[in-house]
Amino acid sequence: MPTTDGSRTPPPPAALPTGARDVLPLEAAELRSAEDALRRAFRAYGYREVRTPALEFAGQLERGQGAELEHVFRLFDEDGRVLVLRPDLTIPVARLIATRLTDHPGPLRVSYTGPAFRAPQTGKPVATEHRQAGAELVGLAGPEADAEILALLGGALGDAGLHGFRIGVGDVSLTRAVLDGLGVADGARVRLAAAAAARDLVAWRRESEAQPLTVARRELLAGLPAVRGGAEVLEHIAAEVPAAADAAARLGRVLEFTGLPERTVLVDLGILRDWPYYSGLVLEAYAPGLGAPVAQGGRYDGLGGRFGVPRPAVGFSIELELLHRAIAATDPAEALRDGVVLVGAMDAEAGTARAVRAAGVPVVGLPSGDDRADRVAAADGWRYVARRAGDGFEVADRLRGETFTCARLEEALPSR
Amino acid sequence: MRAPGGGPAIPLRICIPLGALFPGTVERLGAAGVDVACLGDVGRKLVLEAGDGTVFITTRPTDVPTYVEAGAADVGVVGRDVIEERRPDVYELLDLDFGGCRMVYATRDGEDPTPGAIARLGIVRVATKYPACAMAHFTATGRQAEVVKVNGSVELAPLVGLAHGIVDLVATGGTLRANGLVEREQLFGSSARLIANRASHKLRAEEIDALTARLAVAVGAAR
Repeated sequence: MPTTDGSRTPPPPAALPTGARDVLPLEAAELRSAEDALRRAFRAYGYREVRTPALEFAGQLERGQGAELEHVFRLFDEDGRVLVLRPDLTIPVARLIATRLTDHPGPLRVSYTGPAFRAPQTGKPVATEHRQAGAELVGLAGPEADAEILALLGGALGDAGLHGFRIGVGDVSLTRAVLDGLGVADGARVRLAAAAAARDLVAWRRESEAQPLTVARRELLAGLPAVRGGAEVLEHIAAEVPAAADAAARLGRVLEFTGLPERTVLVDLGILRDWPYYSGLVLEAYAPGLGAPVAQGGRYDGLGGRFGVPRPAVGFSIELELLHRAIAATDPAEALRDGVVLVGAMDAEAGTARAVRAAGVPVVGLPSGDDRADRVAAADGWRYVARRAGDGFEVADRLRGETFTCARLEEALPSR
Repeated sequence: MRAPGGGPAIPLRICIPLGALFPGTVERLGAAGVDVACLGDVGRKLVLEAGDGTVFITTRPTDVPTYVEAGAADVGVVGRDVIEERRPDVYELLDLDFGGCRMVYATRDGEDPTPGAIARLGIVRVATKYPACAMAHFTATGRQAEVVKVNGSVELAPLVGLAHGIVDLVATGGTLRANGLVEREQLFGSSARLIANRASHKLRAEEIDALTARLAVAVGAAR
């Protein structure tokens, strides 16, 4: 607003709650394109979309998680019951499957896309709202199901335009079998689990070296969370700890069935999920330049039972904003989008605008005589600017840096 | 070395702490066969490139986990004290066995004022540069503490009545003694650690494992 001395008062600050943010057109378009690619990949495997509400009862989700929810937004309903904004979609979708799709003969395949929420934490600059896209395969317990989920994840990430990613695959039942086979006592297991959760491999090694084992077995235990490699690491474990041979062979079959390039999937026994509901396969997908996994998941056969219907289940969820950040780090933004800013499209040239749109080229309308066509095209990244010139149109092609004339815009633009 | 998926080769980025841990870090990396010649004269440069392409990023020690956690560096060297305080989401791969020191709780010489403070006031007041470590220690031992964050010369706080005691990192204890303070409790022992970014630990598993193994040999040889 102008003031008496002619200066403008500063606009009010664009205040948003901590961790909240707006998404502008370029980012929105890229997020949409990545999400569309994921949805197509899910559909190609026959995963049908489901949706769950953003608000759930805190008690329901805590029952699924088996622990108190941390860093969630809590609120109350009209009867004073505690609600939460869902912190992820895995548990709500498991709840939906266990309570609404009980009579499905199985195997059951569902996918989802939607926002999840987390409360801000001091010193951790994370967005409070983040979109997740995921898939769940329910009713199959074998390695084929784990392999399909891995293949779907790898294919979907690739389709979305992510390069150079790796999917780390562990198996909590294999890790357990190794500890059983080595005879690690309960007390030591608790300390090992704490070290693994903190990703403290120094503490893990110290605890391992205190175990009464042969040198070879002690080295195996000490190096367990750092084991990363192909099928050969599974053979090594099976040879050293025969009790873990079955679990190692199962994971070997999972790798064999995925059909992904060898270096894309990596056996990684250091992956241990923070949540206790995982029962077998655990997976994390990593992309260059990201500090956190772009996707994670695994097998959680016990989760459905917590909602009444026990069924084996395996799945993953992809963090869309992280996926976009990784893609944006390697791929330049699309320079110009196919579309024409047409002067007069909103009045005199409305017929031409209709025809061009029908031909599949977006038309951005301006009233006749509006002189902002070039600036609008530059600001929004449209490829063409067109104006009436005699019987035809004068068109600037900003991609090729040339100007041409044509009689019929709806024929000239799609053919270029 | 090519990145997985056939992308362009990217050099390994190592985040190095300036200050007390710098000489030991250079020595360990050199012993492990990393080309550290460019670290001989850092000057005002913050990013240095070795002949073999390795990139060194130099920062304040407390910023090392920040760079590694965010993926701006693949691996880094940092004191255990910083890890305890910051709790970064990174892999802690190796104890590099130098820069040894202890995180301690200290008060003025004479009778320990802590039990009396807790009995009469309900709390003990503690000044520290490490508020998270201090709070965790007193919570874990069942005592209420009021933690005051200060940024330098922590020893001053109990002398002028700002706090009953301090939680601080000591190597020899000389500074404590010079200020009439005595160590009452040890929170943990600290030394330099090799840390790795979570994604790099998977995407560059071969390179990071090789570096870790060579450093482990160098640490063993120095013992």
